[in-house]
Amino acid sequence: MMKSKVMLFVIVLLAVSAMAAFANGEKAPATAAAMPQRTINVLLWDDPYPKALMAMLPEFTAATNITVNIEMLQPPQVLTKTAISVTNTTTDYDVVGIDEGNVPVFASLLLPFDSWYKGTVYPKTDPKSVTPKMYSIGTWNGVQLGVPINGNLYVWMTRKDLIENPTYMSQFKAKYGYALGVPKTFKELLEMGTFFNENGIAAGFGPFNGGPAGVLSEAVFMWESYGTKFIDFTGGTFKVVLDEDKAVEGMEFYKKLMTISPKGAETMAHVERQAAFAADPKGVFSMFIWPAQIAAYEDPTKSLVAGKIAYSAPPAGPRGQAAVTGAWAIAIPKASKNQEAAAEFIYWWSSKAIADKLVQANTIPARTETLTNPAYASSKPWLPALADSMKVAASRPRFKEIGQVQDVVKKYWIMGITGAMPTRDAVRAIVKETNDILQKAGY
Amino acid sequence: MKGAGGHGSPVPFLLPALLIVFAVLIFPIIFSFVVSLFDWPLSAGGGSRRFIGASNYVDLVKDKEFWNSLKLQLGFIFIAIPLELVLGLAAALLLNREFQGGRVIRALILLPVFFLPVVSGMTWRFMLQPRYGALNNFLLALGAPEITWLGDPTFAYAAIIIQDIWRMWPFVFMLLYAGLAGISTDILEAAEIDGAHFSKRLFSIILPLLYPTILTALLLRIIDALRIFSEVYVMTEGGPGMATTLFSLYTHRQAFGYMKVGMASAMAIFLLVISIVFAVTLVRKNMSLEKLEERGGDR
Amino acid sequence: MKLATKRKTITMAVAFFAIAVLLVELYPIVITLLNGFRTDLVILSGQKFSLKQLTTTSYALVFKNRLLMKAMGNSIIVGIFSTALSVGVGAMAAYGISRFRFRGRNALAYSFLVFRMLPQMSLVVALYLMFRSIGLRDTIFGITLAHSSFNVPYVIWMLIPFFTAVDKSYEEAAMVDGCSRWKLFHMVFLPLVAPGLVVAAVFSFINSWNEFLYALILTGVNARTAPVAISSLIGGDTLTWGQMCAASTVMLMPVFVFTLAMQKFLIRGIAAGGVKG
Repeated sequence: MMKSKVMLFVIVLLAVSAMAAFANGEKAPATAAAMPQRTINVLLWDDPYPKALMAMLPEFTAATNITVNIEMLQPPQVLTKTAISVTNTTTDYDVVGIDEGNVPVFASLLLPFDSWYKGTVYPKTDPKSVTPKMYSIGTWNGVQLGVPINGNLYVWMTRKDLIENPTYMSQFKAKYGYALGVPKTFKELLEMGTFFNENGIAAGFGPFNGGPAGVLSEAVFMWESYGTKFIDFTGGTFKVVLDEDKAVEGMEFYKKLMTISPKGAETMAHVERQAAFAADPKGVFSMFIWPAQIAAYEDPTKSLVAGKIAYSAPPAGPRGQAAVTGAWAIAIPKASKNQEAAAEFIYWWSSKAIADKLVQANTIPARTETLTNPAYASSKPWLPALADSMKVAASRPRFKEIGQVQDVVKKYWIMGITGAMPTRDAVRAIVKETNDILQKAGY
Repeated sequence: MKGAGGHGSPVPFLLPALLIVFAVLIFPIIFSFVVSLFDWPLSAGGGSRRFIGASNYVDLVKDKEFWNSLKLQLGFIFIAIPLELVLGLAAALLLNREFQGGRVIRALILLPVFFLPVVSGMTWRFMLQPRYGALNNFLLALGAPEITWLGDPTFAYAAIIIQDIWRMWPFVFMLLYAGLAGISTDILEAAEIDGAHFSKRLFSIILPLLYPTILTALLLRIIDALRIFSEVYVMTEGGPGMATTLFSLYTHRQAFGYMKVGMASAMAIFLLVISIVFAVTLVRKNMSLEKLEERGGDR
Repeated sequence: MKLATKRKTITMAVAFFAIAVLLVELYPIVITLLNGFRTDLVILSGQKFSLKQLTTTSYALVFKNRLLMKAMGNSIIVGIFSTALSVGVGAMAAYGISRFRFRGRNALAYSFLVFRMLPQMSLVVALYLMFRSIGLRDTIFGITLAHSSFNVPYVIWMLIPFFTAVDKSYEEAAMVDGCSRWKLFHMVFLPLVAPGLVVAAVFSFINSWNEFLYALILTGVNARTAPVAISSLIGGDTLTWGQMCAASTVMLMPVFVFTLAMQKFLIRGIAAGGVKG
């Protein structure tokens, strides 16, 4: 009895020490610079982009003698931890990543960009280096609070191998009277999608019906394309300005797209979309993508369609074209005690040299010159598409109660597009409940 | 029927537990109570924190989603736990004998209890997917109709219950099996030789002897089921609509989605009241210390 | 039919039934196990299983993931510390409650139970504020203490029946010998309820091992435990299914070995205690 207890203890001890050895296997490289040793804590969202950055950290530490602890969590968890830990007087993090929609919540706790320290090793980020449409993401009430760091907004993906297939091309032309290609309008999207879906070649469309923030993006995308805004800041307050008829049209169209989508479309979140588009042998003809995820779709070990995707701006609706933004800004809390080192880190991250490297890793920095650099256009075909999308960028409404509004939109939007509720009733319910929330919040 | 006599003081024995429980459990509960009287945004940037009296409670009582979440939570407990008990009991009765490999089988049955809840939720989510979901395809092969499990309110609710039963019945099994092992085999064999029918043996001998164990299992399962969160969150995020938004998921949404810590705290205090009622009625009736001591003294 | 033959037949039938149940029950775990050895692409395209698909890439990535390995190490440390603390403290309290007569002892026992029922998210903000102000945030000790908050009541409730079941003749004999209560507790009672302690230890360890929310909020890069680290493999946006399966399998191993080793004590533990009638 005693013996087996001891054995167990030894096993556990071995396991722990083995793991500890793994964990401490690599130490930060020795620094040459004669600068004081400093450490900053950074909270970021978890996707390939910050991961690619993380691999470059030793270079930064070598140049500045600043050690960077990066904590990466899923976006909702980043919000929670930032909300709990950052106050006017305390913070666990010297640099935080803030999803564009949450900038209003944290605005009063962040150090305005103008008061950021001037870098010693890296020059202060030039706001003009960021595409103007994306630039506003880091600002609130006219004050710049953070540097928009990733050029994340709707880009359209279409299966190149499908639209370039001669058989499909001729069949489609015969039936619809125009050439198969990257869909430029909603009508083309629906017709081409229907063609592939009906003939059992591929699913026509990949909707997003996952988390509330993403569903709101889809709704805003449809509504903007049908010529109506959802919520606007007018007369010093937030108002629902949704045009009921246009909103219903948009929802009806999405409902049609749902009929040419893969099975299980009503619960498709990012992972399910990725499975449908990139891993399913049939795949999906056309759908939007957050560029932050392109790396996974172009990775041959994860994707059957790597190298077979045509990228473009989203197709245009009857009354407009829209690409919804979903970018992150990085900012420094007022309460940080390492503001100099934090600024240095951000300047390094947003520099041209790093942006170039991040592009090589199939991720999307926000720097315009990198995105539009013709040298990358052929090997990274999504970059020109991204630049096109930016011309029609549209943002989701931003205010502190957006969390509640998102839930309302998600609930009724999905009921509407799956036929659980007439679309007009769904739109009315969205308007009514959003108004209730705004009224209660005192707008 | 007295327990130990009264000499000495219990305080030194109780003190460490009281200190820990006070610091990391009761203090947060008191804090929660105070916060429940405030409009308290999670983030300091979310506006000022001000005292609003019982407004959160009033809002809560008027909130139909809140009552819905409570209903779903209770339904979850009332459906899942009895099934777990039945399965656990049946397996315990069946496996309560020695056979080749019995120990390994019993250990393997316990594996799901150790499966991380987040991973369990994710695995179930994927097994139920159309096209590539393994379980879904298996059911299709058996002739089941094509269902988007997690997209339908009823099936999604069923799915989270099935997930919980799958994960937790072995826990009940473990307790009941041990309880059975403690019942003298002489009693069981004597009844068997007497030719008593299995049902008679079950109801007149086994179940009464096993009763305290069943109560313990029930109690521990209810405590845990009230707090169930991550597996459901990963599986459905409370959807479709609000169909699987259990009490703890709604608390989570209030606190971290809407950043209304005051409301979430009011929900916690509400749950506390329910728990107290539960404890002073059901638990006290069946599991008071005096009752346990009586049984202890009987042997 | 003779009783012996009848019994043999029944045992055979039971064994078959048990294996059938086991197959169904372990199906999701077997899938996880296998998928740890398959690429994401193969898993998600719903391909039928074949030996050719097997690869150890995911495991290699998991073992190379320093943050994850550190988190698993933390999980083991926190699990052991929290279990030791909870069982030690909980056993003393269970003894105090069940072997002393004092006013309000029932109320005290119920309080432990009731407080344990609240969902963690309603307590975590307060805990965070407290931990930050006394410097326990993101420390192994802090998260250990937080896990004890739900383990101590659990242990107390688990052990009360064991303590009440101890025959009072032991106690009386010891007291006649002039034993102090403390000596009585650790010389007489602890050995008698030892099996119960094992049961409580296993359950505490499971609770701590699986805990997610406290770990998420109360830890950062230093004291993060495995459930949080693994949840980042599941990812909201990017998919690393194979790695998630590999990591979960790795997570499952220590606890499986632990239960297998403890099974003997565990079963005897519950049976010997007062949980039974």
